[in-house]
Amino acid sequence: MMIDVQNLTKRFAGRTAVDGISFQVQPGEIVGFLGPNGAGKSTTMRMLTGYLPPTSGAACIGGHDVFHDSLKARREIGFMPENVPLYEDMRVAEYLTFRAALKGVKIREVRSSVERAMEYCGLGEVRKKMIGTLSKGFRQRVGLADALVHRPRLLILDEPTNGLDPNQIRQVRSLIAQLAGEHTILLSTHILSEVEMSCRRVIIINKGTIRADDTPEALAENLQSSGTVTVELQAGPEEVSEQIQGMGAVRRLASSDVGEGWHRYELRVEPGEEIRVELAELAAARHWRLRELTLHRATLEDVFVELTQRE
Amino acid sequence: MRTFLILLGKELRAFFLSPVAWVVLALFMVITGQSFSLSIGLLREKPSDFSIVRWTFFPQWFWYYYFFLFPLITMRLFAEEQRQGTLESLLTAPVRAWQVLMAKYTSAVIFYSVLWLPALLYFGLLHWIMRGEVEIPLGALGGSYLILFATGLFHLALGCLASALTRNQIIAAILGYALILLHFLAGTFLMYLSQENPDRMRPVLDQAVTMRHMDYFTLGLIDSRPLTYYVSGAILILVLTHQVLEYRRWKA
Repeated sequence: MMIDVQNLTKRFAGRTAVDGISFQVQPGEIVGFLGPNGAGKSTTMRMLTGYLPPTSGAACIGGHDVFHDSLKARREIGFMPENVPLYEDMRVAEYLTFRAALKGVKIREVRSSVERAMEYCGLGEVRKKMIGTLSKGFRQRVGLADALVHRPRLLILDEPTNGLDPNQIRQVRSLIAQLAGEHTILLSTHILSEVEMSCRRVIIINKGTIRADDTPEALAENLQSSGTVTVELQAGPEEVSEQIQGMGAVRRLASSDVGEGWHRYELRVEPGEEIRVELAELAAARHWRLRELTLHRATLEDVFVELTQRE
Repeated sequence: MRTFLILLGKELRAFFLSPVAWVVLALFMVITGQSFSLSIGLLREKPSDFSIVRWTFFPQWFWYYYFFLFPLITMRLFAEEQRQGTLESLLTAPVRAWQVLMAKYTSAVIFYSVLWLPALLYFGLLHWIMRGEVEIPLGALGGSYLILFATGLFHLALGCLASALTRNQIIAAILGYALILLHFLAGTFLMYLSQENPDRMRPVLDQAVTMRHMDYFTLGLIDSRPLTYYVSGAILILVLTHQVLEYRRWKA
């Protein structure tokens, strides 16, 4: 077991940031930690890395308790904190050398470790630059190089693509994909496409509790069974809603006028029901003109909204 | 130990690679050099109860610049880490908070000590120019260095504490200055009180009044009590600083 979290809770003065969460991560897994801002992602990660002591509960990294055996646990981790704090007045190679030595890389291996990390993250061209002068994208890569310079078994990345432009996001993402084979990765984000692309498993967290823990596909599938059907008809809402309400399988109906007598209807359907054929037949029978009939596959975004906004 | 040395190396580089440090060093050389040359002029005009060492290290304006020195050295140490957020990456590496603290403190002590070294050169130079005609009181010289080092240990610890309390360097500097001055003024207040009842206050005075310590040590009177006072004071303040660092994480 790489990460074992049991009932982890963190209370700040009068506010519970993380409320009794439990999860396990096996070696080699890539887990996305997904949640809106302020959900407790960073707090959880800070507890895993030993920066914040938990109020109650326990967490083990590679079998070492993060509180009682903190140094051993921290040796297993490469952590990239949110917003990537770096020493502005150090040069890139100098900083990474310092960090490698600090994290216990043997003196003879420091140089090669730093070179390897810089090559991995494409930092060769800025190796002699002051960190303070680097662009956001390069800073992010320095943070990543720092996280993996001592070849930790576990990488914990707090919003690794935060604030980057689409090209840079793509670069960081492909870097993470390359790292996947060698390391166990726990990364947090509030960008959904990132999780869908990089992670084999998603933990959705909101208001300090875990709302879902599954593969992205399974999560989407659960919601998909209660899918959404869009239909465009040349018929008024009163008439249509009267007919459709009678169909039983429809949970919700929303309509909008799209002009020239056409209306667009969004139907929320009960799990497992197939109503498209029925709808087409209904339209034919009532002589409504029909120009669109689509079943939407739920995306992770739908799952996310569903799980984090349903209050 | 290895972790401590790596951290210390980084802190020392931060000191000696920053222009601020060299400006401080240069300014400080100007001040001590000026004191030295003025004290030579003074001693040439009329005899004095005090030696050249005393006049160089503790001229009348000594207290004006002495207290500013410490906040300048220590204000950056923790405040900057907290502002940049690097305390988080530092303390999530396999490093103990007290190793970070001791590395920073030791680097400050080393820098402070380096500030006083050029003054040695002045006396060497004087000795060389005068071809040994002038007597440099070695006891007073040793005593001066010892008391400057001991008070430095204590005041730098106070500066560290101030820096750990805030993320703003300016506030850290002002707070550090206030703490150091408070300690000093408490001592002068004790001296003032003792005017009424000198005998009863005497043991307290010998322990805790910085001005008094300086007077004795610069005469070459080396007393272990003030040394114990400053060193144990420094340890106490450092333990407190460690608590502050830990507390900030627990409260966060």
